[in-house]
Amino acid sequence: MRLQARLRSQPTIPTASMADIAFLLIIFFMLTISFEVDKTQLTLPKTELRTEIPKKAAYVSVDKEGRLRVSDGEEMSALVPGVEDVLSFAAGVVAMEPGKAFVLKADHDTDYRHVDEVIDALKRAKAEMIYLLSDQETVDAAIGGG
Amino acid sequence: MKMKRRDVDDEIPTASMADIAFLLIIYFMVTTTFTATRGLDFAPPKDDDNPPMIEKEDSVLIEIQPRGDLVVDQKPMELDALIDYLKPKLDRNPAKPVIIRPDPAAPYGAMVDVMDELRQGKEKGLKEEVRISLPTQREIDALWF
Repeated sequence: MRLQARLRSQPTIPTASMADIAFLLIIFFMLTISFEVDKTQLTLPKTELRTEIPKKAAYVSVDKEGRLRVSDGEEMSALVPGVEDVLSFAAGVVAMEPGKAFVLKADHDTDYRHVDEVIDALKRAKAEMIYLLSDQETVDAAIGGG
Repeated sequence: MKMKRRDVDDEIPTASMADIAFLLIIYFMVTTTFTATRGLDFAPPKDDDNPPMIEKEDSVLIEIQPRGDLVVDQKPMELDALIDYLKPKLDRNPAKPVIIRPDPAAPYGAMVDVMDELRQGKEKGLKEEVRISLPTQREIDALWF
């Protein structure tokens, strides 16, 4: 008797769920990612209290030398020559979107007068909420600093 | 001699696939929270046309020196002692405003440290939230001088 030709099963990887996993990851990152609109390198001040900054907040950055950069939260930040430009920028942002949050990203070692001028400009532009961007102060850092 | 043929299992083990996916998810969850998207919130007074008239005597004045040292009501003070100093004053009158006035040459970080400390006043033993006032140089020039 002749044996029937044996059916060889093709080795396959079940990849049906792979797409599900990939989409899950993609959706997760789309929801959580917030693009960094300002890439100014500086050392942020450290605080123990930190509240979440709303997405798409407008940025004003002040580096150690007092150079100012602004971003409306959508486009990359651009260098502006003086504080009057910050005022006109902020007034434009508030006119477009009243109640928009502003983030002040300033170097911890910069002279306060630069920050004072920016806060003054934001106040004059009727900004409702200003967030002072900070890093987390840990207990160790607090002990080391004190 | 007859060789005995071994049956080879032709399946790829995919049991660890879910582990890898979850590992990735956990990794990204942990790393995304480390990016600086948090800060100290601060709401400027809304009615700018009609600022409240604050008398110097009715408030606590925290001055920040160019080197970052604090002078509270004309007395030098450490940051750690600030809440203890404010407690009796603010318990008597919780509406007493606390004015932060950094020197133009003071480091920005020193102002943030003071504000951080004051904002945590309620957790550190004060009855009410501290009413922080951060007047800008222009406002000071307009009001007091």
